[in-house]
Amino acid sequence: MSKSVSESVKNPYIPNLAEIIKIKSETPDTSTFRIKISNGSEFKFQPGQFIELTVFGYGEAPISISGGTTSKDSFEITVRKMGEVTSALFRLQEGKKVGIRGPFGHGWPLDVMKRKNVLLIGGGIGLAPLRPLIQEILRNRKDFERVILMYGARTPKDILFKDEFPLWSKKMEVYRTVDKGEPGWDETVGVVTVLFDEFEVYPEETIAVQCGPPIMMYFVTKKLKELGFPDENIYVSLERRMECGMGICGRCSIGGIYVCKDGPVFSYSTIKGLLERAI
Amino acid sequence: MVSEKTKPSKKSLEVYLIKKENLLTLVSKLADEFEIIAPVRTNGSVRFEKITDINQIELGYIGHTKLPLKKFFEPPKEVLFTYTIKNDSVEIKDNLEQIAKEKRVILGAHACDIHSLEIMDKVFLGEYHDPYYAARRNNTIIIGEICNDTAEYCFCYYTKSGPNAQSGFDLLLTDVNDAYFVEVGSEKGKDLISRFSDLFEKAEVKYIDLKDEKVQKLIKKMREKGLPEMDKVYQDMVNAFSKEIWEELSKICLACGKCNYTCPTCYCFDINDEIDPERTSGSRVRTWSSCHFLVFTRVTSGEVFRKDRSSRVKQRIYHKLVYSVNEIGEISCVGCGRCIDVCPAEIDLREIVKKIKGGA
Repeated sequence: MSKSVSESVKNPYIPNLAEIIKIKSETPDTSTFRIKISNGSEFKFQPGQFIELTVFGYGEAPISISGGTTSKDSFEITVRKMGEVTSALFRLQEGKKVGIRGPFGHGWPLDVMKRKNVLLIGGGIGLAPLRPLIQEILRNRKDFERVILMYGARTPKDILFKDEFPLWSKKMEVYRTVDKGEPGWDETVGVVTVLFDEFEVYPEETIAVQCGPPIMMYFVTKKLKELGFPDENIYVSLERRMECGMGICGRCSIGGIYVCKDGPVFSYSTIKGLLERAI
Repeated sequence: MVSEKTKPSKKSLEVYLIKKENLLTLVSKLADEFEIIAPVRTNGSVRFEKITDINQIELGYIGHTKLPLKKFFEPPKEVLFTYTIKNDSVEIKDNLEQIAKEKRVILGAHACDIHSLEIMDKVFLGEYHDPYYAARRNNTIIIGEICNDTAEYCFCYYTKSGPNAQSGFDLLLTDVNDAYFVEVGSEKGKDLISRFSDLFEKAEVKYIDLKDEKVQKLIKKMREKGLPEMDKVYQDMVNAFSKEIWEELSKICLACGKCNYTCPTCYCFDINDEIDPERTSGSRVRTWSSCHFLVFTRVTSGEVFRKDRSSRVKQRIYHKLVYSVNEIGEISCVGCGRCIDVCPAEIDLREIVKKIKGGA
């Protein structure tokens, strides 16, 4: 009988060995890696949770899980080549070993979203932690009312999950924008918030969930408040520096809450009263 | 005005006496099976060090040691595990087994430092269990000592962590001239007494009073400092978060991190890999960090979440007096005064709180 990751490894600092089983290039600097735990352990997670990824010979970095809720022993991460660890990951091929700790944290509030309208707002790589939520919603589409996705990327080339959008567009409303257009791009140009002009929302019956750069979440939240969204209908996934993932290292503290163990998904009602500004 | 808190608790009413020369005998015997860590005077300061000679021990030191006890439980730099990359596989060797073998006695810990470990326990052995910290705690016997006097920077009375130690020790010594009065605080302490029973004698009741008098004297002396009770400033601190005082402090704070390194409850850390040049093996290393550094909150994109120095000056103080109350149910300042002693800019937590209480 297979054991879950948490059962098979007692020391939470020791990574589980895992194998990169598939690599798919998304954009010039971003790829999706499918990862399978090596010893046959199960890997279960909630959409919105993250892992600590080890590239042996380089180090460890926190990465959001970007897909794979239906698989028992594998999952996906979508990574932008940026720091030392992520750059090293891009040099690995399929079949190579990495280390995994987690999953950590609390995910998106699926139960709260059921029988409600859902407004998903992603910016850049911030679409990655929203993707397992989108997959979950689409699998149980009848449990949710109107579902809208707003997505902003730097240029059309930087749009993630390009081949999945046609399917997504069939099952939910999709609005996309880019900071800088190019010939052939006939969708919106501008920051994510311009997309609010494209449709009407009903704040009381809608749960808005967002993940993107801090500046995006600041302006999106401001806009949601202007539209009349109650604080408890707004959710954000925050990024902070993390070393341990377990609320011990102290790095991801915001006014006394920890992004790793109390988040990374927070209700706006939780973070708006903190002494330190969260977004 | 003997408060209930300063009296030995019922649990520790089992009290003994050990002659000073017998304490040295006890330490010598313990040295056969334990590493002995004790206060030692080097380069003009008292430091907790592993001792090789019992004559090095300086019990009865006044005030705080250079560094607190955390270095023995969360070392400044420690290897968590090592790994070797072999073709398509990786072998991991956990350093925990090695750590679990260490057996140590810490002698001469003052009340503030003893309480700091109880605070660290709530962090490292809370919702998640840190096995490295846990192993070191399990392997270590704490023999505390009631202070003989208070020092310039001491304010443990105002943080409710001294001058008496309520718990957190295995044995607690009080200097009563030619002997030490001994209180037992745990099963480990009880075992020590019964194993070396020939070195201890039952203490008469008068020694309880003698100890209490000593503690009361320390309290009286500390009360003359007239400071706010640090566990009662939560709301004042919350109200002062956006006040001018933090901007003023940010102009003199050097953001050097000395307060973090010398604080007995500053536990924040970094995790990094140290790699051999061939990249065939590496060590995962945990090191102390400081919330005064920009890198503390820097993420890969380059974003720094506490960019203004005032936000970094605030972080440590708010963690001690506000966030900690929410996280672990108590403030995490133990009043040792080390941060005040070492600050090159002469920033004094006591003065900050006093000013804030006064409406600054």
